[in-house]
Amino acid sequence: MQRPPAAVAPGARRYEAIGVSKSFDGANVLTDVSVTFEAGQVHTLAGENGAGKSTLLKIMAGVYQPDAGELHLGGERLAGLSPRSAQRRGIYLVPQEPALMGSLSVTENLFLGILRRGRMRTVDWAAMRREASAYLARVGLTVDPDARAEELSIAQQQLLECARALAHRCTTIFFDEPTSPLTAHEAATLFSVMRSLRTDRYSLGFISHRLDEVLQMSDRVTVLRDGRSVLSGDRSALDRASLVTAMVGRELTTRSRARPHLDASGAREVLAVNGLTARPQFEEVSFSVREGEIVGLAGLVGSGRTEIAEAVFGLRPVERGTVRLAGELLAHRNPRACIDAGLVYLPEDRGRHGIFADVDVERNVTAGVIPRLQRWGPLLRPSAERSMAEQATAQTAVRMASLGTLMRSLSGGNQQRAMLARWLLAGPRVAIFDEPTRGVDVGAKDDIYRLIGELAGQGLACLLISSELSELVATCDRAVAVYEGHVVGELQGADVTDANLGALVVGGTPR
Amino acid sequence: MSTTPVSSAKPGASQARSKTAGRQETIWTVALAALLVVLLAYFYLAVPDFRSLGTSGVLALCEQFLFTGLIALGEAVVVLAGEIDLSTGAMSSLSGILMASLWQQGLNIWLATVLALFAAALGGALNGFLVTRFNVSSLLVTLGTQFIFGSVATAVGGNTPPYNFPRSFVTLVGTGTVGPVPDQLLVFAVVAVAAWLLVARTRYGRSLVLIGYNRAASRYSGIDVRRSLLWAFVASGLLAGMAGIFVSGYYNAARDDIGDSLLLPAITVVVLGGVDIFGGRGRMSGVILATFLLGFLTQGLLIRGDSSLTATMVTGVVLVLCLVLKVALDHRAWAQLRELLRHRVSGMGELRAGRGA
Amino acid sequence: MTALSAPSAPSAPLRAGETGSGAKRSGPVLLGMLRRRELQLVLAILALGALSSALHPSFLASGNVSFILADSVSTMVVAVGQTIVVLGRGIDLSVSPVLGIAAIGVGFPAQDHNLSIFLALLIVLVIGMALGAGNGFLVAVVGIPPIIATLATLTIYGGLQFIFTGGQEVVNIPNAYGNLGNANMLPGVPWLIVVGAAVVAVVWFWLRRTVTGRSIYAVGNNADAAFRAGAPVRRILFLTYVVSGLLAGLGGLIYLCHVGSADATTGSDTNVNLMSIAAALIGGTTLLGGRGGPVGSALGAVFLSEALQAMIASRVPPIWEPAGVGALIVIAVITDRGATPARLLARRPFREPSHGPQ
Repeated sequence: MQRPPAAVAPGARRYEAIGVSKSFDGANVLTDVSVTFEAGQVHTLAGENGAGKSTLLKIMAGVYQPDAGELHLGGERLAGLSPRSAQRRGIYLVPQEPALMGSLSVTENLFLGILRRGRMRTVDWAAMRREASAYLARVGLTVDPDARAEELSIAQQQLLECARALAHRCTTIFFDEPTSPLTAHEAATLFSVMRSLRTDRYSLGFISHRLDEVLQMSDRVTVLRDGRSVLSGDRSALDRASLVTAMVGRELTTRSRARPHLDASGAREVLAVNGLTARPQFEEVSFSVREGEIVGLAGLVGSGRTEIAEAVFGLRPVERGTVRLAGELLAHRNPRACIDAGLVYLPEDRGRHGIFADVDVERNVTAGVIPRLQRWGPLLRPSAERSMAEQATAQTAVRMASLGTLMRSLSGGNQQRAMLARWLLAGPRVAIFDEPTRGVDVGAKDDIYRLIGELAGQGLACLLISSELSELVATCDRAVAVYEGHVVGELQGADVTDANLGALVVGGTPR
Repeated sequence: MSTTPVSSAKPGASQARSKTAGRQETIWTVALAALLVVLLAYFYLAVPDFRSLGTSGVLALCEQFLFTGLIALGEAVVVLAGEIDLSTGAMSSLSGILMASLWQQGLNIWLATVLALFAAALGGALNGFLVTRFNVSSLLVTLGTQFIFGSVATAVGGNTPPYNFPRSFVTLVGTGTVGPVPDQLLVFAVVAVAAWLLVARTRYGRSLVLIGYNRAASRYSGIDVRRSLLWAFVASGLLAGMAGIFVSGYYNAARDDIGDSLLLPAITVVVLGGVDIFGGRGRMSGVILATFLLGFLTQGLLIRGDSSLTATMVTGVVLVLCLVLKVALDHRAWAQLRELLRHRVSGMGELRAGRGA
Repeated sequence: MTALSAPSAPSAPLRAGETGSGAKRSGPVLLGMLRRRELQLVLAILALGALSSALHPSFLASGNVSFILADSVSTMVVAVGQTIVVLGRGIDLSVSPVLGIAAIGVGFPAQDHNLSIFLALLIVLVIGMALGAGNGFLVAVVGIPPIIATLATLTIYGGLQFIFTGGQEVVNIPNAYGNLGNANMLPGVPWLIVVGAAVVAVVWFWLRRTVTGRSIYAVGNNADAAFRAGAPVRRILFLTYVVSGLLAGLGGLIYLCHVGSADATTGSDTNVNLMSIAAALIGGTTLLGGRGGPVGSALGAVFLSEALQAMIASRVPPIWEPAGVGALIVIAVITDRGATPARLLARRPFREPSHGPQ
């Protein structure tokens, strides 16, 4: 009854999406995209953030329903696919953030939904544990099958998701940006697992926006841009240049620098971070930002960049290190003290940490300056608050029906503008922007950066965090690179290039 | 709310209006007010005993339920911030008993009242401290302190808790009136307006509501979440204590068991008042209206001749009904239901396709 | 969350100590039982027993030990039901009137018509399931937050209990009931303990070895992911309340047999809600859902019963009993690191995920 997984020679069926379109809240995310996955191939979906790669795979895995288009598996048309039925047909999506059951064992997570049953239809733990070790070995995961899933590292959890796909006898396996939270070493482990699955004629889908990975891993590449398939072909027929052109496309021409590089070395140092340490997230981090300067903080997800920013803003405790604002030491930092001193932080996860989705725009915008709202005795003055909010939202050009509109109903770009308006009200001297264009339409991205450029022009010291190196290159006057919690290099002016930054953030040295 | 167009009119504007903040709350509040009118009209027309009470008699009925309203106002502050306080009922008992015992020890009754209220605030602070310092569920903490406060009340009160307070006290907080209006109603009006202003028009209230909507975002916006929550529990304890004083004055006796019967009506009033049990959404005006709505409903039933048991059960039924109604009114719930149905239908299609294969 | 976590070495060894290597595990069956909380509790029970008997030599007399055990059974059974609900990320505040209704529901026929105990068993199970189904309907079908739904049914069921008694009390139960409630099966081993152990064993087996049982853990862990893995989430949630009601009903029969009387306040006068939640929490089941199990809760109930006996032996007035239990709850909550995520109350009712952007 028990079969070792290696003996399963799957020969995955050909899986096609034909003319798939999808829109969310009226915004087209995918338009008429076709793609084919075949056994024994790694087919990479490449493209910048927001290009629609993830949505496409989610549609093919049954998470979303397409608005138009068809899915064909080995010639059979699939309609009304759900994640569950997709899995039954051998299609498995390894999500970007592993969705495991934290308090349950590795074994149980592997077999969730297909628990093995023995005598009297009771759960047969012994059989599952035996089987589990085979699947775990298959993906090179050396953990105790009885360990709880929450005890595993992210990389191990991803491999566990992969083993889960095998346990569910899935032969078409999609990886949604698996490498973004991984170190280079962990990514290499994952790649070797993927290669060995390819050898066993599994069909693999892979999302990445990192050129090197795309070139290294793919048999076939489809490039998406703004929800359309702009290039599809065999890896052998593609080179770096053609991929870059396809991925970046028109943006190469439009996303030129909005402003010249600013040499701020003479300007006043507004933010000075010295020896900031909170192990294991980051250690001995030092950098500075000057008046009117835009400094990029470049690093991969997991490099510690967000943790550094949150520590500067007083959201995380540190072991040692200092933060000075215009020479003044910010000793006992908390968000309130930082805001009052003129330091603001635009969080990376807008939905969770930024907006109040079910609150109107007005109260969203004034949320950062509640203590400074005008009062009449102890009572707030609504008219004063409204005019404050009106002014700030006009300055950042938030498009909305009225200030009473719910934040939830605004588009991503407009939500981000409202967030910028919130921090403008605080009258900041330094602003930390953490991934300000995440979840923002392509068109709105440039606007956000233009806004940041304008603010810098008015003397605001800006620290810009992004994993989109091209965005940093187009915006920053200077860039600081972090790798595994350490500052590994600094680039000035024209040296801030894709190539140099790209080398630094993976722990290499610039050319 | 604001009608100032910031951007020029665009196609989605009319649709966006339905997403304007506060609209649902307004509807709920207006519905409560209308229900209250209908209810009073019904009792007035259909129950002769109710009609014969006259204006002052009907107003005097308020003395039977305003302490519930006081507890509910404090509870609402906590619930708006996304927490819950199950210890309010026991705190009412405790403060009443404390006041009475201190008075029995020879203290001036007003000084005893102040001290009891201070103790109630302190008890609330204990709840708030446990919840914020250890970052644990207020549901469990206050479930625990509920029984601690209750035990203390029983222990302090002894076998025969003090009774027969000075006339001035009983008149002022208990049964006195100004013209036809009971003193209690006047005090409640002052407290209710203060609570309403606190939530709707102060910096603290703003922080509290935002914490209820999104605690993490509040923290990232520079709001001191812990301190705000601590004060919410203090407010809840204080108002519960005040309710305990009222009850003692009204019955002219301290009772260690009165609190148990106040907790559920108070929570019912909060929920009926339209406060989202998950925090953020809700208005104090709704809670105030709900106090009278539930209060008159219960008292009216009693006057009509129903047993007090029926009246209590009606409280539970009302709680369930208004929650069912809320779920039904929730737009997103409907959208999800539709999506679910569509999913089911397409799932059947898939089943057929699967069989065909 | 995951995106924020720090890089760690590939195939890094498991974080220290928590689970150890496979070699330390003594086989599949014991896996669920050997979680640390259970061992801690056994030690705490022994330590408290030793301490109390050192201070009050009569404490360990065999009659007292079996009394502690027998006295805990009614709480134990209810706590096991409560545990099932909490594992599914809910809470049931209506167990005390369910216990009360079951006790009087069979108490009166037993007193007046000498109802057979097997029929009584059947009746309490049916009563419990019906009342539990009411909770399940409100939570799983309508989608009302569990705490509010069961708070509401607490009053409704409490009212029913008053109505059913009609001011009467059960004071006289047939011998068959009293024997079950107080006699020993073997010297020093009361019948009730056997019943309690059987219930715990059955529930443990159900939760550990059946697909339904595992689904409760999965739903409590992550209802969305469980739904995607094919668990019928609403049905599972409904079931947890039905079983909780069923066990509360059984607890009512056990209470009747053990105490020999029942009236309109049975259940609420002994703070069954508080005791069952306390036992579950002390036993290591967290309100987060998906963590804990019936064995811990049973031990928690024994510990509570022992602690109350120790208070009596130390001449603490009985009015402080609720305070003691309340303090234990607070202590259990603030020392349980698993229960710390900020908004436990934010247990929004499960809804099937819509197919929108996330």
